[in-house]
Amino acid sequence: MELKELYALMERFEKSGLSEIMFKKDGEEVCLKKAAPAPVFAPPPPAAAYPPAHQGHDAHASDAPVKHGADTEFIRAPLVGTFYRAPAPDAPPFVEKGDTVKRGKPLCILEAMKLMNEYQAEFDMEVVAVLADNGNMVEFGAPLFEVRRV
Amino acid sequence: MIQSLLIANRGEIAVRIIRTCREMGIRTVLAHSQPDTDSLPVRMADEHVCIGPAPARESYLNIRNLVTAGVLSGCDALHPGVGFLAENAGFARDVGEAGLIFVGPDPEVIELLGDKIRAKHSAKDMGIPVIAGSTGSVENARDALAAAESIGYPVIVKAAAGGGGKGMRIVRTSAELGDVLVIASQEAEKAFSDGTVYLEKYLENPRHVEIQIVADRKGGIVHLGERDCTVQQNHQKLIEESPSPVVTPELRARMGDDAVRLLRRLGYTGAGTVEFLVMDGKHYFMEVNARVQVEHPVSEMVTGVDIIRQQLLAASDEALEIRQDEVRLGAYAVECRINARSAGRVTRFDVPGGYGVRMDTFLYAGYHVPPWYDHLVAKLIVTGRTRAEGLRRMQRALSELVIEGIATNIESQQKIVAHPVFQSGKYGTGFLGEVMKEGSL
Repeated sequence: MELKELYALMERFEKSGLSEIMFKKDGEEVCLKKAAPAPVFAPPPPAAAYPPAHQGHDAHASDAPVKHGADTEFIRAPLVGTFYRAPAPDAPPFVEKGDTVKRGKPLCILEAMKLMNEYQAEFDMEVVAVLADNGNMVEFGAPLFEVRRV
Repeated sequence: MIQSLLIANRGEIAVRIIRTCREMGIRTVLAHSQPDTDSLPVRMADEHVCIGPAPARESYLNIRNLVTAGVLSGCDALHPGVGFLAENAGFARDVGEAGLIFVGPDPEVIELLGDKIRAKHSAKDMGIPVIAGSTGSVENARDALAAAESIGYPVIVKAAAGGGGKGMRIVRTSAELGDVLVIASQEAEKAFSDGTVYLEKYLENPRHVEIQIVADRKGGIVHLGERDCTVQQNHQKLIEESPSPVVTPELRARMGDDAVRLLRRLGYTGAGTVEFLVMDGKHYFMEVNARVQVEHPVSEMVTGVDIIRQQLLAASDEALEIRQDEVRLGAYAVECRINARSAGRVTRFDVPGGYGVRMDTFLYAGYHVPPWYDHLVAKLIVTGRTRAEGLRRMQRALSELVIEGIATNIESQQKIVAHPVFQSGKYGTGFLGEVMKEGSL
């Protein structure tokens, strides 16, 4: 690997929302890790602002049972992508069921066209359920989390 | 061969593509918007992915979501259908760069054909007749008079930046030209901030006739005869038929040859249509539609060639299944487009059937026609040994077709098909406008 390629990779990695990246090419291997939690690189679209899918026809992406309590709401996928619960394969998930999450804290990553889009909590919330499976495709509007405002 | 196809479209064309895929053993994944969750193609496809909310620009025009859906659902190809992104070179490029086969011509070819002036020049360079016009803009009355003299009256003054009839004027004698030029230029200036105008020969009441082409990447290219789409309202086709009542075998051979030569030269792949205006036995190149067209079933019924199948074969680098000398144009076929005139729930849907009748639609009883998309809801196609037999069959089939719950143009189509001028086969693109003025439709 050329030194300038490595620099380019470091620069992209620095700006990305990832905390770790493994890059293999021509038998060479580079592993980059960030010490601190990854900074947010792109303002996420307002996930909660999207209208829910057809009443009675919730998106088919998740086979998870979607029970909708009176005081809870869904965080839905604002784009089609691969759903990741954690910033890196061996990192712990951003949030677990039962967690209380402050506004602005990351919830998940949606990968689309090789871009990692990190999505943050729009408001303070309690995670009632995680509805999408890690590493799977989610379609537009698919419920990702059931949450309760706190 | 393509194994798995993302269909980036909706409605009857999505149903049409799924049907051929099923026959070919190709897995289908339908990309759909939220309100289309209940649609027939969603039910018919092997899998489906929601790619956005109701507005097309956020769903059916959302390149990122469409490409991502194709990649993540394990497809190796993408069919754009008609409309939406079907003739978007940037989309074709993104699809290719994501590692998927774009079912259509190469992005460079789409780009060239999308530029109507470049396309016209390409045709002219190959000796294909185009509508005579001034070579560039006309700057003053003297230039205009000279240009009009060489083209021959009547001429039409058009705005270079034009569209929607603005800055457009028909001139029949040299005496009118000077004044009209000033008016047209001022109108163009107001409408487009560009007063540049040019002249073109005005064809009075021409026929709109197009040649269907299919081409593979192995040098195979055939034309499947013509479709006559002269019955139009505001440039929207309503009835298409083949063969055209005005195209002789000699004219068909010339048009077919021109269309094949043009698309072969451009390295065209897949299904495409070369549109011509026909007047007094002569044809003039207009433009190329770089995609499969809504009215393609007319040619399928005449020739017995499944055009979508040939598209998928060509995209898979396979050879076409037909050679030019095997194309038979024996029968007659005609299509009526059935358009919704209101959105709403379809409460009753009776589909015509019987000998020589084909119905391509995505309607079903209970389906809610959404208000956001194209108004085409069904295509009724019938065949006959002759035009007279075909038109009688179309009248019979239209009388069987019942769609309740939404307003449609069924009755209007019945009147057009029964109209003595339409029955005579002698009319031009102005026909429907004249009939509308009479108030009988």
